[in-house]
This record gives sequence, C-alpha cells and structure tokens, in this order.
Amino acid sequence: MDRLLLLLPTTTYRTQAFLDAACTLGVDVVCASEKPSTLEAQAPDHLLTLDFTDPDASAARVAAFAGRRPLSAVVGVDDLTTVAAAAIAERLGLRSSATAAVVAAHDKYRMRQCLAATGVPIPRFRRIALKDDPFLAARGVAFPCVLKPLALSASRGVIRANTVDQFVAAFRRIATLLRRDDVEISGDAAQFLLAEEYLPGLEVALEGLLVGGMLHTLALFDKPDPLEGPFFEETIYVTPSRLPAGVQESISRVAAAGCAALGLAEGPVHAELRVNDGGPWVLEIAARSIGGLCSRTLRFGTGMSLEEIILRHALGWPIASLARERRPAGVMMLPIPRAGRLRSVRGTEAAGAVPGVEEVAITAHPGQELVPLPEGWQYLGFIFARADTPDAVEAALRDAHARLVFELD
Amino acid sequence: MSEDLRTRVQDLIDTMINPAVAGHGGFVELVDVQDNRVYLQMGGGCQGCGAADVTLKSGIERLIKEEIPEVAEVLDTTDHASGTNPYYTAGKA
Repeated sequence: MDRLLLLLPTTTYRTQAFLDAACTLGVDVVCASEKPSTLEAQAPDHLLTLDFTDPDASAARVAAFAGRRPLSAVVGVDDLTTVAAAAIAERLGLRSSATAAVVAAHDKYRMRQCLAATGVPIPRFRRIALKDDPFLAARGVAFPCVLKPLALSASRGVIRANTVDQFVAAFRRIATLLRRDDVEISGDAAQFLLAEEYLPGLEVALEGLLVGGMLHTLALFDKPDPLEGPFFEETIYVTPSRLPAGVQESISRVAAAGCAALGLAEGPVHAELRVNDGGPWVLEIAARSIGGLCSRTLRFGTGMSLEEIILRHALGWPIASLARERRPAGVMMLPIPRAGRLRSVRGTEAAGAVPGVEEVAITAHPGQELVPLPEGWQYLGFIFARADTPDAVEAALRDAHARLVFELD
Repeated sequence: MSEDLRTRVQDLIDTMINPAVAGHGGFVELVDVQDNRVYLQMGGGCQGCGAADVTLKSGIERLIKEEIPEVAEVLDTTDHASGTNPYYTAGKA
C-alpha cells in the first residue's frame, strides 16, 4: 500500500479535505504537524511532529522515519508547509517542485525578482527594510502603491497607500502586525516589507496543477467585488470566469510563464492576477492549492475533489480527467464586519434556503475573538453555491450573505 | 457481540484515548456501536479543534482498529461548529 505524508498545521482549514481525499484513495496516511498530537506516543507510525520553519531538520527527521516506513508521496497542504514539503520530497526523491523554486514562490520579493527577470508582467516593486525610516522610504515609491508583508497570505497585512502619510501609517501597521505572536515568520520576511505599484483592474484567481512543468488550469475564478483598498478582503469567488475566452487564455499563459520563471514544475498552484487594458499581471503565485474551505466549490471528472487530484498527482497515480464540472460554482468568504467577540450567528437556515446555496459553513466558534483585516487571520465562515450561470451563483451568494446576522460583543 | 464490542471500545477510550486527549482539555465519548461501526463524540478542547480530524483519523480510529480489528469504521458525530473552547483554532496561513 502506498504511504502518504501530509503536512497539516494545527491551524489549517485544509485538514478535513485532504484526509477525506486520502481516505477515498485508501492510502496509508502519516500526519505531521508543528505541535505534538495528544496521541503521538500511541501512534508513532502515523503521527509526527515537524518544525515546518526548519525544512532541513524536517527533511532529516522524515528521512529517518522513511527508513523504516517508506513514503510514496509528501504533500504540504498550505503556505506554512510548502517549503518543508518540497525539502522532504527532494531528500526522498519524491514528486515535487524543486525546493529552491518553492522557496522563491514563498517570498513575495524573490518571486517578483524571478518574474521580472524573465519579463513576466508584474507591478513595479521595491523591498524596504522595516528598520528604515518610512518617510524616507516613501520618497522612493510612486503613488498609489500597495504595501504588503513578504510572506503572509489571504490579503493579511496588505494595505493601499495613496499618499506619504498613508504610506507611513501602513508601514508602521505592518511592522506591528509582523511582531504579533500569531504571525509565524522568520528571516527576511520578518525584516522587510514590499511596496509595489497599485494596478487598477479586475482580479482573478487561477487554480492549477503543474505536471512535468506544464500548467493545467483547473479553474479560473472571477472576484466580482472590487479590490481597490485600503484593505483587500477577499469575498466572492465564482467559476467559470465571465471574462472573454481570449482573456482567459492570456491569463493562463501569463500564469504558466510565471510558474516557469520560478522553476515550479510539479503540484498545485494558486495564482492571483490583475487584468486591465495592459493584459494580465501576476500579483502572486503560490505553490499550494486554494485556501480556507474554498476548494469545496471544485469537482472534477466524475466527482473528484481538488485534494484527490493533488494526492493522485503526488503519488503518481492516473487522473482520469482534469476537467472541472460544467456547472458554475462559487464561494463567499464571509467578511468580518468589525472587531469583537462572536456571540452568535443568526439566519444560517434562511441563508441555506436560498436557491443555489449548497452550504453555509460558519467556522468561527462562539466566543471567538474576531479581528478584521489587515491584522485578521481567520475566516468567519463560507457560503457555497452552484447554479446555472455564474451570475446566478454570485446572486445566490449575495442573497444568502444578506440573510446572516453576526452578533458581536 | 455488539455489547462486547461496546465494552471493549469504552475500555480503550477510558484507558488510552481520554487520558491522552485530556492533555489538551479534550475528551471523547462513545455514542453507539452498530454493525461494527463506532460512533464517537468529541468534547472540550477537541470540539471544533483545528486538529480534531488528525486526532480522530490518525490517532483514535487507528488505535481502535489496531486493538479491536473487527471495528470497520469510526465515525465522528460531533457538532464541531458549536465548540466554544477548541484547543487549536483554524486560521489563514
């Protein structure tokens, strides 16, 4: 039986989806987290503790483990684990992109350097040390610009600045954010931030799978809510995209060029792009799949999940079809209305009753402290919908959201 | 048969599983055993915990199946959304 190592941070939203997929495939699963499981002593062949921030140490630990329990594949499920997963795969000779490529994709500055070097369209950018004087740093950028940490995801810490004063305020806010206990970064990511040109335009997300260096676009999502700042909270994703076919093809081409520039060759890719009169521009390319619970929108072939495709690819198993189901689908990541402690959520039944809505998943728990962007690091929940057209999906998501009432203390 | 199975599963929960998950303020309750299927509920720090699936699939289910091979499946009936004090809370990376 094939044995699969899943790197599952204790705080990831992705655990259930990947474990379900592994269960469907019938492989022997070993789960590694950054903190010990309460049952690790009782199940040492199936539960491991790895320091994901130290990929070399993780690779050495897993190599020792694999000496007695050989592994067929390793998959990191989110941003916290991609580099460690690549290092482990490289050490064991398993299917993965090269560690150097994944490292480059994980650092927004290095990523932009790689993309710029090969002519992939990206916004103009500058890396700025957090120890620098922000007033002086602001002189070197054109406005409007966007400031962002080098390593966080899901728009955390991403702030638009239109003036020097806004730049300085954003700079200081990100510096404070990066010192928070719940921010797990080190190295350059803890010392620098990125300032880049703000690009007007529509934003899309591309979900893809790299096989032998070739990017297969699994889904292209429209993000119909304007993302113009000052913060960039992601809300609605709808697929298939309503953009003209030619534009969609150019998005896939640019994303593929970006992957090639980084040296990514195998495994899942989640890319964010802006599209305007100048064509598609790469904002991010991550060597992982879509975050949160959003993958529930995707089904392939005869009902295969995104995670099953990722695991099959890592294991070298055949994949019957990479074609997404035809029916339009979408997800709404529920925005956190304000800071506070969640007392209750009302209206979930009414929201779930909206035609087209498949599920309303509230992931924040009663009593949870909610922090909105740019500091926030959690989702309130998700609404999922399917309908005959992308417009109907979007309308269902908005209707369902309007029926929810969040009571915060 | 089912009563015997139930007793053995309960014993395993009492002696091996609950003492371990108590370290995170959690506990596991046996809800039922039917047709070699074990139905469990997780509480305390396990209810709504970001690592609950790992604890269940790679810990609890494995232990139960190893110790009691006739168990075919272990099913979680917990309402994780109602957990008010999960040990780990899911978040963006």
